[in-house]
Amino acid sequence: MSADIGQPARIRSPLLAVHPSTWRTIFAMAAGLGVTALLILSVGADPLTAYRTIALGAFGSLERVTYGLNRATPYILCGIGVSLCFRAKVINIGGEGQIAIGGLCATWVALTWPIANPAIAIGSAALGGIAGGMIWASLAGGIHLGRGVNEVLVTLLMNFIAVLLVAEALHSWIGEIGAGFPQSPMLTANYRLPKLIAGTDLHIGILFALVAAILANIVLWCTSLGFAWRIFGESRMAARYAGFSRGRLTIGVMALAGGLAGLAGAIEVMGIHYRLIEGFSKGFGFNAIAVALLAALKPWAVIPAGLFFGFLETGTQAMQRQIGVPSSLVIVIQGVTMLLVLAAMGGLRPKGGS
Amino acid sequence: MAGDSIPLLEMRGIVKQYGSVAANAGIDLTVSAGSVVGLLGENGSGKSTLMKILFGMVRADSGTMIFKGRELSGHSPRAAIGAGIGMIHQHFMLVEAMTITENVILSLGPAGRRLRKREVSRLVRETSERYGLDLDPFAVVGNLSLGRRQRVEIVKALMRGAELLILDEPTSNLSPPEVDRLLSVIRRLRAEGKAIIFISHKLGEVLEICDQIVVLRDGSVVGHSESDACTRVGLASLMVGRELDEVFERSTASPGLKLLELHNVSVPAAPGGSGLSDITFSVRSGEILAIAGIDGNGQLELAETIAGLRPAKVGTIELAGTDITNTGVADRIATGLSYIPADRIGTSLVPSMTIGENLMLRDSHRAPFSVHGWLNSSALDDNAHGAISAFGIRAPSPNISTKRLSGGNQQKIVVARELARAPKVLIAVQATWGLDPGATQFILDRLLRLRNDGAAIVYISSELEEVLALGDRIGVMFDGRIAGIMSRADADVTRIGMMMGGLETQSSVEEIRA
Repeated sequence: MSADIGQPARIRSPLLAVHPSTWRTIFAMAAGLGVTALLILSVGADPLTAYRTIALGAFGSLERVTYGLNRATPYILCGIGVSLCFRAKVINIGGEGQIAIGGLCATWVALTWPIANPAIAIGSAALGGIAGGMIWASLAGGIHLGRGVNEVLVTLLMNFIAVLLVAEALHSWIGEIGAGFPQSPMLTANYRLPKLIAGTDLHIGILFALVAAILANIVLWCTSLGFAWRIFGESRMAARYAGFSRGRLTIGVMALAGGLAGLAGAIEVMGIHYRLIEGFSKGFGFNAIAVALLAALKPWAVIPAGLFFGFLETGTQAMQRQIGVPSSLVIVIQGVTMLLVLAAMGGLRPKGGS
Repeated sequence: MAGDSIPLLEMRGIVKQYGSVAANAGIDLTVSAGSVVGLLGENGSGKSTLMKILFGMVRADSGTMIFKGRELSGHSPRAAIGAGIGMIHQHFMLVEAMTITENVILSLGPAGRRLRKREVSRLVRETSERYGLDLDPFAVVGNLSLGRRQRVEIVKALMRGAELLILDEPTSNLSPPEVDRLLSVIRRLRAEGKAIIFISHKLGEVLEICDQIVVLRDGSVVGHSESDACTRVGLASLMVGRELDEVFERSTASPGLKLLELHNVSVPAAPGGSGLSDITFSVRSGEILAIAGIDGNGQLELAETIAGLRPAKVGTIELAGTDITNTGVADRIATGLSYIPADRIGTSLVPSMTIGENLMLRDSHRAPFSVHGWLNSSALDDNAHGAISAFGIRAPSPNISTKRLSGGNQQKIVVARELARAPKVLIAVQATWGLDPGATQFILDRLLRLRNDGAAIVYISSELEEVLALGDRIGVMFDGRIAGIMSRADADVTRIGMMMGGLETQSSVEEIRA
């Protein structure tokens, strides 16, 4: 069953191959909703009403849809990186910290250089975010390779450092003086992401996410680097035998994931808040792991998986507001869905011999 | 010693067939109390199968086993232990985090639960003193040397009432002082009336400790005598027991330039493996150097060091005159060095990936497989179709995953890939391991063709037959060293057998014969 996690049987039509696991994933999502119905009943609400509220909350109006798309953007960006890392069996769970550092770096660029041209301004801040995330992730990769510390531990612990670094920065050099809340000054208008649809909140971030997913898919399946990552993930012994450098592949995939997460952080700052605020990255990095797994580590499939998570969140938030179902149920629904999906796919079983 | 008394164990006509191969073809073995019987043979001679049958891990197709006057039939390891047979495996079965006493209690099963720790530790101490095992019952197993751990296994067997101990390659992981210690323990056990079956391929130890020696070859007993009547030369030729025969059609070697040269290469031993010490040899164009040896004497390390997977700490390696000692695997591939490792699944092949992908495993970043980093899928397909037809790989399409192929077809993929590079030097280890005769013949034939085309080949195998069939020169490895290299014309099975059994080097063999 482990084979279903990621190797389509053929190499030439991987871009949109509908694998049996895709159907199983969809079935598992449906089953997740079924189980959730029982939980909703248990808090005294009517599941059908609840689901209608969720659906309306997610898709009920253009405004709700745009909200969901914005929400899905960091999940998709960060999820792509996670799926590439997991493909290479480099277990990077540092998305959270990489987003935080990306947001910090983008904010720093935006507050330091008053660039008038919006395209150049946004581009530089985005690059700042990408660079920050890449450096942060490479640092984790370096510690993992150089000192032999498990990468799960390094990336996990560096999340705390990153989030606290951002908080510290907001309390000192980058914070808004006299704000009374740990936040940076507002970005100037030329550093704010333009709207995709006028009159809504939908910013152009989702486009970055879609392009990144497609590019990642191409890198994974159509380049020799992607081939090396796939070999590396399948068998360390085979990768060594093939002459691939463990260091370069590990740092490379970590840096790519860090860059995408950093971009997600920059987009959150420039598209949603227009400033850096404490805790802005909360939960994105960890949920992105769930997104990547839900997508069976296929970069293109991160798009629907990220959208599912984004809309599920906006929908359940509406449910909470309108019929008083606790918002913690959102997390329960996500958890139940994840478990069912992973069970349906046979899990990320480690391969024998590697 | 007690050869005339009623035997403790009598195995008669043991037959075990695996497919068309007779692992045991009617073996008789008799062991008396208070004696040590050495079981000698090459890899695959049937020693392990015979002992697995005795210990109840494998059921014999036919034959009888009488132990202490009662027939053992269709028994399990548990029944064997209950009857008084103890087996000390090559790999110890101990819980490292626990003390010796706790490990003993565990091994006693349900009966152990009712015992008090203090009683057991007292018994462990008594047993240890009685047989000179020198064990502290409260020592944590994880902190013990391999030699001591082995003695913990012996205590376990003794405390379960073993009267017959089977020691499977007991000295393979031990240092020389630990070996001496083990041999003295075995003498004590014998003096206390225990019977011991000592499985080994090391001639010296077998001659030193055993009262009787049984030599197995191809599943049959080919020699059985009192050890006093044996000589090393005699045992070596019995163990190996073949004449050189020309299995393959071959042209005589016309060696050209030296393509591979190793000078004084040494590699420290990794945990659980062998190191290399002071390896010097060269292989010329159009020549096959076949290296024999019992598994675990540094062959894997030698292959990996030449292929670039293991750094040579000392010495130099030259490929066609270029020093490659400090270059990486990818550079060595580019210089024309191909490598067929012993481990197919997960090293030379990625089972879950397609035939086409596996065929470009080590060349993916080079033309034609990729151009400026972009994979060229038509090159992959062309190459795969070409290899499938040239090597007769039986597969419906290059896009199916390799795990669905038979071992022979899998190995053909590896060989096709490594030969496609038109290598100057090829290192192959056990390239025919586990393959049927047809695939074996095909692969060896391809290697000979490569040699005839002017490549230098190092072929490492523990199958002596293959080494003798392929090698233009034949080398023997023992204990991380090249024990000797001889030309095909001078190759002589007795001499090779003695080198494989250790303790003899090329020069000392000459002395004996002189």
